[in-house]
Amino acid sequence: MRRVLVTGLGVTSPFGAGVKAYWAGLAAGACAIRPLTLIDAGGFRCRIAAEVPEIGTGSPRRSRADRLALGAAAEALEDAGLSAPDRAGAALVVGAVGGGMLEAESGYWARARGERAPRWAASLRAMLPAAHAETLAHRLGLGGPRHTVVTACSSGAVAVAEAAELIADGVVDVAMAGGVDAITQMCFMGFNALKLLDPEPCRPFDRDRRGMSIGEGAAFVVLESVEHARARGRRAHGELAGHGTTTDAYHVTAPEPQGEGMVRAMRVALDAAGLSPADVGYVNAHGTATPQNDRIEARAITHVFGAGRPLVSSTKSMIGHTMAAAGSLEAVAAILALTHEIIPPTANLATPDPEVEFDCVPRVAREAVIEHAISNSFGFGGQNITLVFRRV
Amino acid sequence: MEAKEVFDELKTILVSRLKFDPRRAAEVAETTPLPKGVEGSIGLDSLDFIELSIAIEERFGVVIDESENLTAHFASFDTLSRFIGGRLGAA
Repeated sequence: MRRVLVTGLGVTSPFGAGVKAYWAGLAAGACAIRPLTLIDAGGFRCRIAAEVPEIGTGSPRRSRADRLALGAAAEALEDAGLSAPDRAGAALVVGAVGGGMLEAESGYWARARGERAPRWAASLRAMLPAAHAETLAHRLGLGGPRHTVVTACSSGAVAVAEAAELIADGVVDVAMAGGVDAITQMCFMGFNALKLLDPEPCRPFDRDRRGMSIGEGAAFVVLESVEHARARGRRAHGELAGHGTTTDAYHVTAPEPQGEGMVRAMRVALDAAGLSPADVGYVNAHGTATPQNDRIEARAITHVFGAGRPLVSSTKSMIGHTMAAAGSLEAVAAILALTHEIIPPTANLATPDPEVEFDCVPRVAREAVIEHAISNSFGFGGQNITLVFRRV
Repeated sequence: MEAKEVFDELKTILVSRLKFDPRRAAEVAETTPLPKGVEGSIGLDSLDFIELSIAIEERFGVVIDESENLTAHFASFDTLSRFIGGRLGAA
């Protein structure tokens, strides 16, 4: 098993293009959840979301999601400074759910009304979740193994873990991995119908939380074996020290009530990294702000780490739940917390939940020097993953 | 941008985006037809035209409006270069 470093970071977030804007927003405890403009939310209980403000990258003939992904992946590649030969051998693992559904669904609606669907052929080509990987590979010259991971809201994190496996096993030396999702009618209406959306910006771990806020974005990381990074003299942002993946095998949407699958994911990840719970200074929680997730996740975290430690926050309070991008955006948040020695807060947290037995870093970021951070992502259907990052 | 410069950029796109052999791209003339099935053409199919349109929008910063019939504009390198040149002039 080879050790895996993170040598490139790239983000397109509701705070705008780039890692810098993302971290500035997170460290300030800003909330990017605002009135929805991308789709018509008239008649819905919830009409807010965290949209990416400007999509600068790429032709308007590309799907919004592809453009989010291209911006983030190109930034990660540039940050890592990979040569063309390295790119030609690099694996690409993309976590995706919605694909190019935003454009496809509006095209289908137009055609159902007997109208012309704009850029219809291009929309159909970009519709499936696997289309992002096609776009990224083609545009960025990534020629190694190519996977698309669809594990609901943990897709972005699972993509990072799968890419790390390819490096650890010696299949490739370098990989690009991450997740992307754009807001779509299908996603927004689905969560609205499930009554999981808060009409106000979401409040993870607040006693009065009422549900999640939808977001969108993309984050990609360049992963590299220690040997490969060393050979080209590259400094790393951090080490992906381990990961744990489990399945509840319980229900199509609800997490298993005791959080047993979540506990196992965290424990498997710590074991893989050779750590004890006391080594972890920060947990970037899944923290969706649904009454159910946060209660069960809080219980699971306390079960693994004991009451009172470590610091825990949900960055979804600032950028919403970015679906397939969430796991990778939050992985980047965890890495940046290690490198900046600042724990991003849980915004909008006004009234602590007495059932939550740890410090949720309410509203204001906290300075803290930590050696290890974990990021939890729990997808519908009990698709759980914990990533462990180590300071280098 | 002159039509000749646009033509040269289109030949670059043939190689970088449509993955044509550079030698074949170097051989095309301004009069060479684009669509598959036309005699002497470089044989672009419908997916190639999507990729070409994306590449044009990204390279030249123009937006191709599909509400007009584009068939005549995408007939040859010459017609396409003039079309793009016109868009650049209008912008």
